[in-house]
Amino acid sequence: MDAAEVEFLAKKELVTIIPNFSLDKIYLIGGDLGPFNLAYPWKCPFGWPINLKQRQKCCLLPPEWMDVEKMEQIQDQERKEETFTPVPSPHYMEITKLLLNHASDNISKADTIRTLIKDLWDTRMAKLRVSADNFVWQQEAHAKLDNLTNRHMDQCNQIKNPEINPQTYEHLIFDKEAKLAQATTFLI
Amino acid sequence: MFVSDFRKEFYELVHNQRVLLFVASDVDALCACKILQALFQCDHVQYTLVPVSGWQELETAFLEHKEQFCYFILINCGANVDLLDILQPDEDSVFFVCDTHRPVNVVNVYNDTQIKLLIKQDDDLEVPAYDDIFRDEAEDEDLSGSDSEGSEPSEKRTRLEEEIVARTTKRRQRREWEARRRDILFDYEQYEYYGTSSAMVMFDLAWMMSKDLNDMLWWAIVGLTDQWVHDKITQMKYVTDVGILQRHVTRHNHRNEAEENMLSVDCTRISFEYDLRLALYQHWSLHESLYNTSYTAARFKLWSVHGQKRLQEFLADMGLPLKQVKQKFQSMDVSLKENLREMIEESANKFGMKDMRVQTFSIHFGFKHKFLASDVVFATMSLMESPEKDASGTDHFIQALDSLSRSNLDKLYLGLELAKKHLQATQQTIASCLCTNLVTSQGPFLYCSLMEGTPDVTLFSKPASLSLLSRHLLKSFVYSTKNRRCKLLPLVMAAPLSIEQGTVTVVGIPPETDGSDRKNFFGRAFEKAAESTNSRTLHNHFDLSVIELKAEDRSKFLDALVSLLS
Repeated sequence: MDAAEVEFLAKKELVTIIPNFSLDKIYLIGGDLGPFNLAYPWKCPFGWPINLKQRQKCCLLPPEWMDVEKMEQIQDQERKEETFTPVPSPHYMEITKLLLNHASDNISKADTIRTLIKDLWDTRMAKLRVSADNFVWQQEAHAKLDNLTNRHMDQCNQIKNPEINPQTYEHLIFDKEAKLAQATTFLI
Repeated sequence: MFVSDFRKEFYELVHNQRVLLFVASDVDALCACKILQALFQCDHVQYTLVPVSGWQELETAFLEHKEQFCYFILINCGANVDLLDILQPDEDSVFFVCDTHRPVNVVNVYNDTQIKLLIKQDDDLEVPAYDDIFRDEAEDEDLSGSDSEGSEPSEKRTRLEEEIVARTTKRRQRREWEARRRDILFDYEQYEYYGTSSAMVMFDLAWMMSKDLNDMLWWAIVGLTDQWVHDKITQMKYVTDVGILQRHVTRHNHRNEAEENMLSVDCTRISFEYDLRLALYQHWSLHESLYNTSYTAARFKLWSVHGQKRLQEFLADMGLPLKQVKQKFQSMDVSLKENLREMIEESANKFGMKDMRVQTFSIHFGFKHKFLASDVVFATMSLMESPEKDASGTDHFIQALDSLSRSNLDKLYLGLELAKKHLQATQQTIASCLCTNLVTSQGPFLYCSLMEGTPDVTLFSKPASLSLLSRHLLKSFVYSTKNRRCKLLPLVMAAPLSIEQGTVTVVGIPPETDGSDRKNFFGRAFEKAAESTNSRTLHNHFDLSVIELKAEDRSKFLDALVSLLS
């Protein structure tokens, strides 16, 4: 899947908003939405708050994990461990990007958070590359990686390893459902 | 009629219709347009934007589009003339007029159905009462009273006499009423002036709907500053309006003070500043800015050698080395920049300039971009009135409109460069006019005419640039002349408009006095002078004090004006 699909899936995540209007429940195909009560914080699937914020109809609250101290702790932990640590939210990259682009005035210390998230992402990508590298050199058939997110897997599907012998077409395919990384080697 | 509840009687009506926006070509109108566009985008309102620079364009655009729209919004045009008479609309067209031009035409005020004025009524409007101006026509039927079928001749005679007496008294009353009406209307329409900025009115509407953003507040600030830069409002009104906007600024921007709740650097931050009134000084060098701001140029008399020496003295008094002052402001030594404002104010006081600092606002976003409100006004104005012939007026308008958005900073910087050239050209023209004594006294007013070969004269064929040049020229002239009577005279300025058609633009500026209320009588004066001499004039601009005139008729027009005003 590509980046747009990943972002679309992230929009199911719930985010708290404070609307500045009132509206009764809306019945949609995917589920019910509402009721919107004036100035009452309320969790809402993520696609809506961005649209409402752009039309200045609500105020977004950052999720609990989007806090400088918590992020720093997660970042430290990630650096210490060799394997992947649990992420604050399965869609943390997408949510952060959308929130910081559209609602950075509602989030305190937005710049620090942006830097911390980027650091976290970089650390995890580095680990991924190191483990993929080891995997290829040791010529394993199976590898298991926990705690990967959609975005990571999507990124990895785009990695083309130039060190591999061009006569052997190797594709590293990461299977999402099983949350396992299975490498299948095609020898042609 | 005046709209009292902007939200219910204007926005709710308009937001599920297609509307046509007519926007005049000045910076205040652009800012009001931007705020309204932002509101429309939030609510998905369909609109068409038509920039107009004069009555003719307004009429042609109206004729083109009137079939498709019922609701028309006019920004900074249309309040000071009888709209229904000029446009001849259908019965179901409704016009919403948000205009700073005063006085508001009485027909527009008293029309209940088709014209809605988006104007705050606490502006000192002094509209005459309805009964003083409009009279029921049905009363006049009594005059043509039926001839009574008198039976007896004597009765007939007395009844006839009574009727004659009644008729003559009624006619006399009517004539008295008409004379009074003419006087009232003459007093009301004699002086032209400006009211609250349209951008501020639109911002108020946004605030009422809780949709106001920092960006919209910035546009309201720029609209108000435009009025101040062009001397359209009195100092007191400017200070009052600044106070109103300052409350909004604190409301939106108080988070900058607290350390824990710091905003991202990319967010816009507006702050109130008590800053120097030197034009564009943070984007230029201090020396150039002192040279090209009309305030300092007039008081130092920088067109003369003596004046330039005084400027050097001024800089020396502050201890600023000439080399530092002549380089770009951003590259000046930090130690010099730190207390610059206070130092300049102190020295300026010694040299007789008491109002060196003014209350204004600045906007700040990203690490590099900081602008004062007056910088943006000059930049946008230069973009809109740049003399490039290949681009049409609409292109300039769109470019200027774009430069107000935060995402089009390159256009804003281009505007700043154009503004610098503009200011330099203005000061050079003023210097040459004063040195060659082009400003002559015609009796009741001063007159100055720019020749065709003057450098940059194409820049001054546009009304706003010419008005700015004339105001600055008058200020400088007041400081240069020793004749006490001449200091109180208004100025009429003429600049060539089109060589092929042989037309000139003529602008009238009220006299420069400290407590002046900025009321301009030249609009009506020009009309009357043109009528009495049958000069070929075109009163095309929304400001009635700017007209186009055929060059051959110039002398008789001026003579008529002299006799009218003396």
